[in-house]
Amino acid sequence: MSEIELVDVQAGYGRAAPVLRGFSVAVPAGTVVCLVGPNGAGKSTVLKVASGLLGPRSGRVMVGGRDMTGAGPQKMLAEGVALVLQGHSVFREMTVEENVLLGGYTLKDRTRKAKRAAFVKELFPVVGERWHSLAGLLSGGQQKQVEFARSLMVDPKVVLLDEPSMGLDPKATSTIFEQVVRMRDAGTAVLLVEQNARRALETADLGCVLDLGRVHISGPAADLLADPQLGELYLGGRPAEKPPAV
Amino acid sequence: MPLAAGAVLIVAIAMFPSLAPNPYILSSGVIVLNWAVLATAWNFVGGFTGYISLGHGALAGLGGYATGLLITKADLPSFVALIVAAVLVAALAVPIGFAALRVRGASFVIVSIALVLILLLVFQSWSSVTGGSRGLVVPRPFPGMLRPEHHRVFFFLYGGLLLLALATWWLLDRSRFGMGLKAIREDEDKAESLGTPTFAYKLTVFVVSAAFTALAGGLYALWFGDLDPVFQFSVLTGSYIVLMALLGGVRNLYGPVLGAIVVGVALEYFKVEFGNTPLHLVTTGLLLGLVVMFMPDGVIPSLTALVKRLRKREDSSIREVTAADLAEQRKREREAANS
Repeated sequence: MSEIELVDVQAGYGRAAPVLRGFSVAVPAGTVVCLVGPNGAGKSTVLKVASGLLGPRSGRVMVGGRDMTGAGPQKMLAEGVALVLQGHSVFREMTVEENVLLGGYTLKDRTRKAKRAAFVKELFPVVGERWHSLAGLLSGGQQKQVEFARSLMVDPKVVLLDEPSMGLDPKATSTIFEQVVRMRDAGTAVLLVEQNARRALETADLGCVLDLGRVHISGPAADLLADPQLGELYLGGRPAEKPPAV
Repeated sequence: MPLAAGAVLIVAIAMFPSLAPNPYILSSGVIVLNWAVLATAWNFVGGFTGYISLGHGALAGLGGYATGLLITKADLPSFVALIVAAVLVAALAVPIGFAALRVRGASFVIVSIALVLILLLVFQSWSSVTGGSRGLVVPRPFPGMLRPEHHRVFFFLYGGLLLLALATWWLLDRSRFGMGLKAIREDEDKAESLGTPTFAYKLTVFVVSAAFTALAGGLYALWFGDLDPVFQFSVLTGSYIVLMALLGGVRNLYGPVLGAIVVGVALEYFKVEFGNTPLHLVTTGLLLGLVVMFMPDGVIPSLTALVKRLRKREDSSIREVTAADLAEQRKREREAANS
């Protein structure tokens, strides 16, 4: 059974034409599913619908087999769907500790909260190292890891990641993708939206190419990476191709 | 550190009445402590949630008038009236906060100013109850007591109230509730998306702030003995409170107290030196401008940051660290410890 599934979803903003036009995706337990596609394809809109920030015009949002269509973000969080927003969304004037504990704000049981905090510190060593620092003083990549840790405090079934490598240098980007794999290995499913399509597909188990609000093609991420036509259209050419000899 | 500073404050409060050279200085001390309680009470809302209220002067005025009216109209003993008045103002703060806290930023500031102006009109016009523009005379709680002793007693009462307000702020700052409030200050929408009941939290802390503000206003009514709506419901009072908190440092336990000492003493000095001129307004306006330009976080946070910069802590690097880097670093540390 999928942790989260969007079925034939139509969604958009205001009275404008729909951005998603019959979009479907399923995120099985313990997998990283990556959504790639050109700008304006509707990738971020998928995450807004999945997290409850945007209600679909039609279609269904299923969480663990339960129909949660139309539920708001707090209800989706309670059902185990956590969202990590695009850009940096830490509370800059608060410590890393406070940021992470805020992620578990809905947890009433102190022992459980302490256990989750210990777990995320183990999973993201930088978070533990910087536990008492102000989050605003951390680098972009470190802040992103604090956001990951915060999202895992409620022990979610699935984490929705919106462009986690945005604005990060190559080393920080590598660290971020390394942490996405660690999240998956720790048992949390991940639905990843990423502009850095090739790097994201290398990390993911399953891939889904989105274009004009519909699924263009989906399947194992490795197969999508190997498809030369997809490489040309969506992944910016194939790195395996060598430049012509001079 | 907060406990050490608290101990210094307790000693200063305990010793000031014996060191004050004359009753005027002692009465000035009472006024400064009144400002300190008001600014600390304001800091519950301004410091924790970032909502800037210019209407706290009106809450103090309500506390003063409620205390005076409960004594004169309901024949309650002075200090019972003070407590009942604070409870009534706290209860009234619920519908006020319910309406005002629905808006943010500049809109909240404007709503808070409107509160002051509406209450001024009500208390000036409703003369059969409030005494209108003639004011309200509040009976003294200790009728036979000489002036210097009266000031000394009220100095200690204000000191006790200030310590109570500071202790409450300190406890909130360390609580789960305080963490939720600080998240609201940083980003209300984000805090809500993480499950913080933002509106309930803002309303609760507004009520707590109103209760302390009303206690300060009521104590002022008992000490001064005369209330005039023009002074009790003045936007200027709220502006002074904000200036004090900004100067010392909002988000800081002792910031408003430091600001109240600096601005409160300056205001008394200008009154003595220049009489009833607008010079004190010009000077406080200038001070506010300087604070906003050069120390937007206030004196205490700016000095703390300076000390930290001078110390140049070793862990100030923000270099990206991967799990592999950390494993290597720990290995080196273990090897160093073993050798």
